[in-house]
Amino acid sequence: MYRTYRRAAQLLVFSVMFLIPLLNLYEIYAITGTFYAVNIGRLGIADPVVIFQALFASGSLTAALLSAALFAVFLALLLGRVWCGWMCPYHLLADGAAWTRARVRHKLFRSNAPESLVVPGSLKANMVRYAFLVLGTVAAGAFGIPFLNYVSAPGILSTEAMIFVKERSVSLELGFIAALLLLELCVSPRFWCRLFCPTGAFLALFRMPFTLRVGTDTAGPKAPCCKGNYCSAACPMGLSAFREGNNLLCTNCGRCIDACTAHGGPGRLHFKGFTS
Amino acid sequence: MGSGLKGFLKRVFLHGENPFVDRYATNRLRPPGAVNEERFMALCIRCNRCLEVCPYGSIKRAGWGTTIGTPYVLPEDKACYLCMACCRLCPTGALNPTLRNPEKVRMGKASIDASICYSRLFFDHDVLPDTEGRKIGAICNTCYNVCPLADKAIMLKDNLFPVVLDGCVGCGICVEKCPTRPARAVNVTPAGMGKVDEAGFYFRKARKSYETSVSVNGEARTRVLKGSELLDRKYKIEGSTEPPAFRFPYDVPDSIEDWE
Repeated sequence: MYRTYRRAAQLLVFSVMFLIPLLNLYEIYAITGTFYAVNIGRLGIADPVVIFQALFASGSLTAALLSAALFAVFLALLLGRVWCGWMCPYHLLADGAAWTRARVRHKLFRSNAPESLVVPGSLKANMVRYAFLVLGTVAAGAFGIPFLNYVSAPGILSTEAMIFVKERSVSLELGFIAALLLLELCVSPRFWCRLFCPTGAFLALFRMPFTLRVGTDTAGPKAPCCKGNYCSAACPMGLSAFREGNNLLCTNCGRCIDACTAHGGPGRLHFKGFTS
Repeated sequence: MGSGLKGFLKRVFLHGENPFVDRYATNRLRPPGAVNEERFMALCIRCNRCLEVCPYGSIKRAGWGTTIGTPYVLPEDKACYLCMACCRLCPTGALNPTLRNPEKVRMGKASIDASICYSRLFFDHDVLPDTEGRKIGAICNTCYNVCPLADKAIMLKDNLFPVVLDGCVGCGICVEKCPTRPARAVNVTPAGMGKVDEAGFYFRKARKSYETSVSVNGEARTRVLKGSELLDRKYKIEGSTEPPAFRFPYDVPDSIEDWE
């Protein structure tokens, strides 16, 4: 059920990526920018990790900088990491890579066994992710250059889309995205989102008791309710979905809820947060 | 401080110079309203919004090295026409968002190379050698004619040849239109390159262009030839019947329809 909405949202954002420069070609400047920073009318929305780095690298705090990050932080506080699961253009491509990989595994090797992830366990994955984020930010501060921008997958993708629409060419950075997708296809699906993506790691920090999350009504079940454990198998981040809905890795994608209902599960998993 | 490896290490380790951000080159400018280079590299988040709104397509994206993704104006291809659309949109203040007045922009400073400038050659030597050694004559002054801040940024000294004034903002329109090839007679030195404490090593290259610009209210103003004096000077210039070999970016028609 959520899958349809999610795909619609992802495709919408993906097309917006091309639509913004197209509108600008026709001199409509109501919405401008790339996914590093977008302006809709007078509302500025920027990737908070990018702003955080600019603060760190320049050593100065301005109202413009802070207000730009405000909207994304507000969205994360309210709805969790919906940017990652529901909007990020790279996540859509990673979904595609994972789907292709599953198909290949099924057709060629007759294997439906769940993937073994490169860094198993949510704690370890989070440690790698935040080590990468801290390292990048410290390097940004030390050298005065926002290094993490060079590896921001959604930012790069949308910049490339912009260059493609405006100048009918692409630049070198698309190779980075291609390399990531190839690795996801051949080595481990969704390793970038799980282990490195600085934007996702930073957005996950804005989490409050009222933030939207996946959970059950009863307090924390210790074991999966059904034998199949379909919710955990469906989780692209390798979480035990029935109890780790509050984990920093969770993107609120809703796959676990879909899996639960699809397999005729007890349907205990649902979104909760500020609504309930 | 010398150049070479030793000088480089000295600058980095003894003087705390940031080796990643000090990259200046002639005719490679930051968009209007840019803060100094070091802060610009820190503040610019490579969102490319300036590039997107530029109605002239003047702003290009750096494609390699640590500056990858940052905006540059390359006036040899396309100069900045000072519409100030980009400054307003910069989300981090890497371009000053309050800057509206084109005259307050300081992207760089133009400097004229007297050894290849058509007008200058003509004034100094009465000749303009072309590739075959013929004498061709032209008072070009294209730079003066295209300058959006004419008489503030550039003036015709003695009404005969162009001189860059202090008011030059470095938009580079003169560079784009300058007819000399392969090298342009007028080039823009980026603003940061003209400051000794910022540019360090690069200042050596830039110093000349910053020292040769003339103060707007200085003695250059008072030496403008006018009236018969100017005519006398112009009569003395020897010309030839051969038109100069300008290259136009379009086909020049031999005749125009319906013109008698």
